[in-house]
Amino acid sequence: MRPARPLLESPHFLSLLLLGAVAWSVTGIGWGEPLLHTGGGDSALDLLLALFPPDLSPSFLLVCLQAAWQTLSIALASITVAVLLGFPLGVMASGALVSPNSRLRAPLMISSRFVLGTLRSIHELVWAVLLVAAIGLSPLAAIVALGLPYAGILGRIYAEFLEDTPEDPLTALRSAGASSWQTLIFGRLPMSTPDLVSYTFYRFECSIRSAAILSFVGIRGIGYEIQLSLGELLFSQVWTLLLILLAIVALVDFWSGRVRQSLVES
Amino acid sequence: MIETREPTRYTERRRRKPPFARLSFYTFLGLIAVAWGYIFMAGDSGFTMLLEGRTWENAWQFLMRLAGADLDEGPAFLQAEQWWATGRLAYNTLAMSVLAIGIAGFGTFLTFIFAARNMSSGSLGGTPSRLGAVVYYLLRIFYAFTRAVPELVWAMLIVFFLSPGILPGAIALGIHNLGIMGRLAAEVVEDMDPAPARAMRASGAGIFQIFLYAILPQTLPHFITYLLYRWEVVIRTTVVVGFVSAGGLGLEMRLNLSFFHYDQVTLLILWYLLLVIGVDFLSAWMRKLARFD
Repeated sequence: MRPARPLLESPHFLSLLLLGAVAWSVTGIGWGEPLLHTGGGDSALDLLLALFPPDLSPSFLLVCLQAAWQTLSIALASITVAVLLGFPLGVMASGALVSPNSRLRAPLMISSRFVLGTLRSIHELVWAVLLVAAIGLSPLAAIVALGLPYAGILGRIYAEFLEDTPEDPLTALRSAGASSWQTLIFGRLPMSTPDLVSYTFYRFECSIRSAAILSFVGIRGIGYEIQLSLGELLFSQVWTLLLILLAIVALVDFWSGRVRQSLVES
Repeated sequence: MIETREPTRYTERRRRKPPFARLSFYTFLGLIAVAWGYIFMAGDSGFTMLLEGRTWENAWQFLMRLAGADLDEGPAFLQAEQWWATGRLAYNTLAMSVLAIGIAGFGTFLTFIFAARNMSSGSLGGTPSRLGAVVYYLLRIFYAFTRAVPELVWAMLIVFFLSPGILPGAIALGIHNLGIMGRLAAEVVEDMDPAPARAMRASGAGIFQIFLYAILPQTLPHFITYLLYRWEVVIRTTVVVGFVSAGGLGLEMRLNLSFFHYDQVTLLILWYLLLVIGVDFLSAWMRKLARFD
């Protein structure tokens, strides 16, 4: 028999809280004004019907292919930046490199966590807007804008994975005289490799979507083409682009699933 | 004996290292190299700009304007009435994020059970039917599609027919997160312990009873935990849908950017940081309430 929880910790309280929060948010909608634009229903229908069929003309598919590669190359480049920046920060934030009773440990962990938190809490599109305003519109701005928040996300999760490795093998390494560097390289890293790799892959998948929306600040790619086609009301082109985005993301998802499987099996 | 056998077993293990994972790793490295090559070759990548003094001068000026150093009356983020004036937008943004999670949560709650393979195959209860299998695939495709399309694109499509405000933003965020949540929730059902459901089926319980008393109690805590994690992401993303006039702080940020009111932008970013930190705390507290025991 488990002891009864106080009222504030009962699951019913949580359910009420969540439902109450959603009810509150509904009141935030401006119910006074009409929800649809005039003629909004018709354009929604047009948009939906344009799927049958999407625009599959060869000349447009060529445009799509180029846009897809532009988006993919930004995603690939920014994930490199994110890993190169996030991994050292993550290692520092996990505290794996300093001995548990070192006086440097707390300041190092807290400051690196703070850096990671700040990088992460500003959305990539805001980074992009700020960077474009600061250094101008270029692939560099896009890569850095994606790389910074992704470094924050990757670093935090890397730190958690490195901390969560089982203690016993590490104790064995330490008692055999391994330094903290050696425990990291021969203990923590090999044990968390499947998690690290599959999470990085998952984030790569996300970075493709994020690279697509950087079109908003003028970076070429799938999102840019979607914006153009929407502006010209060519809805069947929009569908083609959306389906291509779906195909890329599904492909990466499938690939990462296979990699994860083969890493776990070994 | 043991000393001679141990190393050989070790080398055997190393040789058996999965060729697929290694191949994938090198493929990925290759892709990265090609991507960087393309970025440098395909025109002005912007890296040469970094060597020019002018770029750094501009960047410094921009930072100063973010800090409001060029203003006589002082930057907006040091004035209490400016905080008060934008507080309403922060309130709307918070409401938008909660509504989005509500939409994603209800949508997931209504569908996730039909998107679980072990449910549609009848291994938890009920009878396997062709309809169940069709619904399973349709839902999985629906989730994959809503997930693959970014929130911003959903918002661009939705503001086409819905009037601006927090509703289109919440719907855009809700649809995208429905795809993520639906898949996660369905996978939780697929990974759950089937024993209680099977015991209930053996004692003659109907499919609805099995759902209510065997599946929900096991999956709901996971489900709520994921929902709260997604809330942390959604509050960060409200800025994006706001950019395409879906209301809240994001819209205001875009307007201020186009008017070059950079000190206001700083104020809005500070509001965002506050919201993000607040939501992180709330979510951590509520996840503790939903813990499994």
